[in-house]
Amino acid sequence: MTTEALVGLIFLPLLGACATVLPGRLATRAGVLAGLLPLPWLLVVVTLAVVQDPALFVELGGFAAPLGIRLFADPLAVLMLWMVAIIGGLAAVHAWFDFPPDSPAGQSFWPLWLLLTSAMNALFLSADLFNLYVCLELVTLTAIPLIALAGSKTSVRAAMRYLLLALLASLLYLLGIALLYNATGTLDLYLIRTALTAAPPAAVVTALALISLGLLLKGAVFPLHVWLPQAHASAPGPVSAVLSALVVKTAIYLLYRLWLWSVPAGTLAAEHALMLMALLGAGALLYGGVLALLQERLKLVIAYSTVAQLGYLLLILPMAATAAWPVAWQGGLYQLLSHGLAKAAMFLAAANILHALGSDRLSHLRRLDQRQPLSLFTLAVAGVSLMGLPPSGGFLAKWLLLEAAWRSGQWWLLAVLIAGSLLAAAYIFRILAASLGRDDPTEAQPVAASRSIPVIQDAAALLLALLALGTGFAAAPILQFIEAGAPAAWSTP
Amino acid sequence: MIGLAIDSVLALGIVWLALQTVRSVSMLQAVLMFIVFGLLMSLAWARLHAPDLALAEAAIGAGITGALLLVTWRRLQADGHDPVDSELPAQSKWLTIPTACAAALLIVIVGWIALQLPAVPGTAGDLAWQRLGEIGVSNPVTGVLLGFRAYDTLMEMAVLLAAWLGARAVATTYRPGALPGPVHVEVPLVGALLSLVVPISILVAVYLLQAGGSAPGGAFQGGAVLAAGGVLLFLTGRLEAAPRTSGLERVGLILGIAVFSLMGLMVMATGGHMLALPGAWAIYLVETALLLSIALSLVLLFAAAPGLRRMS
Repeated sequence: MTTEALVGLIFLPLLGACATVLPGRLATRAGVLAGLLPLPWLLVVVTLAVVQDPALFVELGGFAAPLGIRLFADPLAVLMLWMVAIIGGLAAVHAWFDFPPDSPAGQSFWPLWLLLTSAMNALFLSADLFNLYVCLELVTLTAIPLIALAGSKTSVRAAMRYLLLALLASLLYLLGIALLYNATGTLDLYLIRTALTAAPPAAVVTALALISLGLLLKGAVFPLHVWLPQAHASAPGPVSAVLSALVVKTAIYLLYRLWLWSVPAGTLAAEHALMLMALLGAGALLYGGVLALLQERLKLVIAYSTVAQLGYLLLILPMAATAAWPVAWQGGLYQLLSHGLAKAAMFLAAANILHALGSDRLSHLRRLDQRQPLSLFTLAVAGVSLMGLPPSGGFLAKWLLLEAAWRSGQWWLLAVLIAGSLLAAAYIFRILAASLGRDDPTEAQPVAASRSIPVIQDAAALLLALLALGTGFAAAPILQFIEAGAPAAWSTP
Repeated sequence: MIGLAIDSVLALGIVWLALQTVRSVSMLQAVLMFIVFGLLMSLAWARLHAPDLALAEAAIGAGITGALLLVTWRRLQADGHDPVDSELPAQSKWLTIPTACAAALLIVIVGWIALQLPAVPGTAGDLAWQRLGEIGVSNPVTGVLLGFRAYDTLMEMAVLLAAWLGARAVATTYRPGALPGPVHVEVPLVGALLSLVVPISILVAVYLLQAGGSAPGGAFQGGAVLAAGGVLLFLTGRLEAAPRTSGLERVGLILGIAVFSLMGLMVMATGGHMLALPGAWAIYLVETALLLSIALSLVLLFAAAPGLRRMS
């Protein structure tokens, strides 16, 4: 039953994508519904199984690793899968109106969307480094055309830039994998741990450096984030939501898997690598925050905010060698979850605003409380989580991170965390202030009358924002679940 | 001794061609250099006793990729961007030299480390050799692609589908124009050539597919050769771009993924393991579907069109 559910998570959206390519309107609709609707139910089965056994393996083709490819599910993977199901699902509801399945736009959109869903599910379940490369490629090559579907020349240019850098990242990753395989004879993420201790350190360090560099580039980690703001800001709304909430996180997820699962604890000067990545994370938090504060367009503010918020996910890494690790891990994953929900909500709300007003310039957002009250409310609720105000999920995440930094005595982290939250508060309040502004009677009206948007699109955005808030209330079971799958802390040398 | 001489010439030639590809001021020259580079690479793979890779490199790396680059060049020309004499932007020199040095350094480091690596016993590759009998084919490459790591191959087919979908999505924004020049000119020799070359491309594709079980070959190489036949039909005006993807084309594009996945699911439903193909017949069936999807995707990518139809 569990095996079938795991396979279904990958193959239902894949076959759904095939169905949407087939001729006939019915095929497109059936493909979308059959590819997306069953995912939460399958996930319930997988979640129950993982609660029983926090390390679930399925051998594809019946060939044991290292010969074959294994699927692997643990609490981290299940958390990511739930994010794909919920965020991807609500973004799909939103997209249903902009890309109706029987329109030409829908014909382009849905096959790519379903392939992307399948690819992300496959990535979070894969236990094989080369298979992860294929999944990562599929994620990238489906996400990029989805950006271009916005149809503007800016979006195509942003997509091409993303493509070139993503291909460079893929090559670096692949080179590293080739080196690792030759040094260890296995590609299995979990078998490689023992093999790495016996392999020549020079080869392993070079391979890890190449793979990490590729992943940092794909994850848009400062200072390799240059492709992200334009790509995420010029994509269609639901695509922006999924890009920021899920797609960039695939690379961060793989960094976690690589450094916290595959690399043997405390060897190969790994603590220096983790510290370096945390410093990049700190840079991202500050630089992204400042840049978000300087943007003139709403979607660019949200996109730079993604650059900043990704920083938190790397900040936890050096705490792997301290006693505060379980708290840091919970905080990191809670940040992953709450940021995903809040950011998707913001991008969907921004898409609604862009649709209704015809512009997302901050200076055009005046009287938003009268023109788009639900969108503004969504932005505010999601903003509460982003800047970490209680009682949101974001608050809990940042609280846990602060506690971990305090307990591990990493004072600089404390300062960075607080600065990051203050910057987030600044750029969120800047949006709210612009939206609540009143018309200046001396100035000409720049914006035409609002167009109305379907209430379900508003509801999808609002629901995501409320979920981001709600994760602050219903935290205990989720935190317990996360903790059960935490990678072992490194013993302090 | 002769082997060493050949290898040295190959190695120097590859580096020189790579350099020429990057340094060419003319885009056409760069493309041509790249095609020759691909051919030398395929010789290098042959010298390294990797005939499957050599075939794939020749058919896909040099052949189809070269054709794609050439047709892109033609289209750019037709759209008024004449890339022949376009100079590289001056400031890029400040980036190219450090980038080239960094890349060279990387290759030296990785190469040096790879040469020092001791042989590891019991690798996945060794295991694949030992257990090849379980798959039902004697070509180890096919055994890995359709047996031990069938899941990778399936996902790569999804990548190819994504590439086509992506090209179609971008083409709706930047609608590429028709190919310029005397493409559709009716020369008596063209018909004779086609009646010879197209059946041969089908024959070679089928041979490569069939041979893939025991010798170098397989769906990817066969698909590329079949695609070459399609490209020729397109270039000589026997096929032209259609504004819509026909039903048959739609079926063809997903055939590989659909047959492969459904076969895997069927095995799982009947109590076996997911994607454990039941014997050589299943491998050939899946490979035939893969070949058709690969060939069709490549021809459609080359035509940069949603679909193809017979020239009216």
